[in-house]
Amino acid sequence: MATRTADISRSTPAPSVPPNGAHLWQRMLRYRWGYIFIAPWILIYAVFGIYPLVLSFYLTFFNYSFVRPDDLAFVGIGNWVRGIQDPLFWQSTFNILYNQAIFITLTLGLGLGTALLLKGITQGGRIFRTIYFIPVVTSVIVLMTLGGYLTSATGPIQNVLVRLGILAEPIFWQSTFWLPMPIIAVINSWKWFGVSTVILLAGLYSIDPQLYESASLEGANSWQLFRSITIPQLMPQIFFLLVVDFINGLQMFGEVYAMFDIYGGNQHQALTPVLYLYAQAFDQSNMGYASTLGLLLAAIIAFITVLQFRFVQRDVE
Amino acid sequence: MATVSPPMSARPRLRLGKLLPYILLILGAIVVFYPFVYMLMNSVKPGREILHSPNALPSQITFSGYTDVFERLNVLLLLRNSLILAISITLLNTLLSALGAYAIAKIPFPGRDQIFGFMLATMMIPGVLFLIPTYVLMYNLGWVNHFFALIIPAAVSVYNIFLLRQFLDTIPDEQLEAARLDGASDIGIFWRIVLPLMKPALTTVAILTFMGSWNDFFGPLLYLTDPNLWTVQVGLLQFQSGVPGENVQEVWALITMITLPLVIFYFIMQDQFVAAFANVKFK
Repeated sequence: MATRTADISRSTPAPSVPPNGAHLWQRMLRYRWGYIFIAPWILIYAVFGIYPLVLSFYLTFFNYSFVRPDDLAFVGIGNWVRGIQDPLFWQSTFNILYNQAIFITLTLGLGLGTALLLKGITQGGRIFRTIYFIPVVTSVIVLMTLGGYLTSATGPIQNVLVRLGILAEPIFWQSTFWLPMPIIAVINSWKWFGVSTVILLAGLYSIDPQLYESASLEGANSWQLFRSITIPQLMPQIFFLLVVDFINGLQMFGEVYAMFDIYGGNQHQALTPVLYLYAQAFDQSNMGYASTLGLLLAAIIAFITVLQFRFVQRDVE
Repeated sequence: MATVSPPMSARPRLRLGKLLPYILLILGAIVVFYPFVYMLMNSVKPGREILHSPNALPSQITFSGYTDVFERLNVLLLLRNSLILAISITLLNTLLSALGAYAIAKIPFPGRDQIFGFMLATMMIPGVLFLIPTYVLMYNLGWVNHFFALIIPAAVSVYNIFLLRQFLDTIPDEQLEAARLDGASDIGIFWRIVLPLMKPALTTVAILTFMGSWNDFFGPLLYLTDPNLWTVQVGLLQFQSGVPGENVQEVWALITMITLPLVIFYFIMQDQFVAAFANVKFK
């Protein structure tokens, strides 16, 4: 409710102009159903959005366990200092950036490749799109169970790799240090590249064919067409995918929770920031510190998003 | 002769060039579809074979995984809980988001643009920020181990309002103005004109919301610790992390049962599914 009144008052003309004020009041009354229809969102967002946001900042200054609420102890910026110096938090941040670098390259690459192929064919495009999109409906737990079996030491993928001589012997990749993040990225891109494909395909169809025609007449080859027309014209879609995938991907939880303990394995090889935050909140029952980690991660996400808007959107006209 | 030979040599190249995309796309389709085949195959395979030759075709087809999982795990309870959540969230969210979208798109109330701008801004806030404080809030409300903890915050969503508003922009204002001049109230216009017109977009939003709730794992994990309230996703995780290898056949049967309804649903309504993801852009 607070937001509503705040927003309205901002658009209210100066009170020294009564006719306008009366006019505004009349319009508010006339269009009162607008407020009533939007009220559910405002109410719910005030309670489950704005209040938690404020609480989150408040909690960072305390050591607080929800099971022992009376032990609330003020620690000032102690949680922040601890978070910035916490090697596990930075390892989890490194892990997720490592994972996302691979995931985003894969989904964008596969999505773009598939979209280009689909644009190029004349028949059957719908069937392929249908198939490529199926994995999107799988849940994260089903995805990781399936992916876990398929990539396991006895699973079909390693089986083939060993037979082809690419792998000397099957690997228990979950317990290695470097493999969990790339393999989770591959499993996730199996699920998500269909979304990138349809978004990029829609983008490809919106490119004016005349751009290609006139460039071809000037003697541009297909690589030049791709680089100087397709990619620049697709920048809005690529940029969207980049930003949204990063915001979602940096908050990975279910994928690692389903396969590892809540500290991401014995070497923390699969610890992600949200998993670490979960462990702090529900294993160490330290809500204040967990809240601080949430804010730190949000700051990292905001920083990366701002960088993307600065350096990528520049190319989007 | 000389005039015939160039097309002769060009034709096979042309044909290969036309075939290559299809070959790549078919290979891709096999890779994408294979996990589902693997899942179905292992769900009807005798348990011993899954452990010893997980990649081979089953020597015989058995449905004991499907029947046994009902004995070992209260699947009906899990399904019931998941359905209660998914259906109530979908109904509430579709209705309330449609109301919000109608207000934003068609009622020029003062402050509308500011509210919409604020809504869009909230979409950029990462969800992780809300995680801990919302849990504290729910705990203090006594909603931990209550479906309310999952239903009420999901009763309306900005993303759905945004999608529906985009659709409403394509409906001419004159049509609604005419009804308004005839003396219809906004609530009447919404029920009798806007809702029926919005049907395709509402289906898209409903599908997306249903799938989101059905597949949600983090929410139920946080708020529903009582096994009687577990959803299929939480139940599956608990079940498969039991004794490794012992119940593998039932795990495959359960995965298939959780996934197949959505896959079939997707096949029937794929255009609405895809529409929910495509055509998104900033602004």
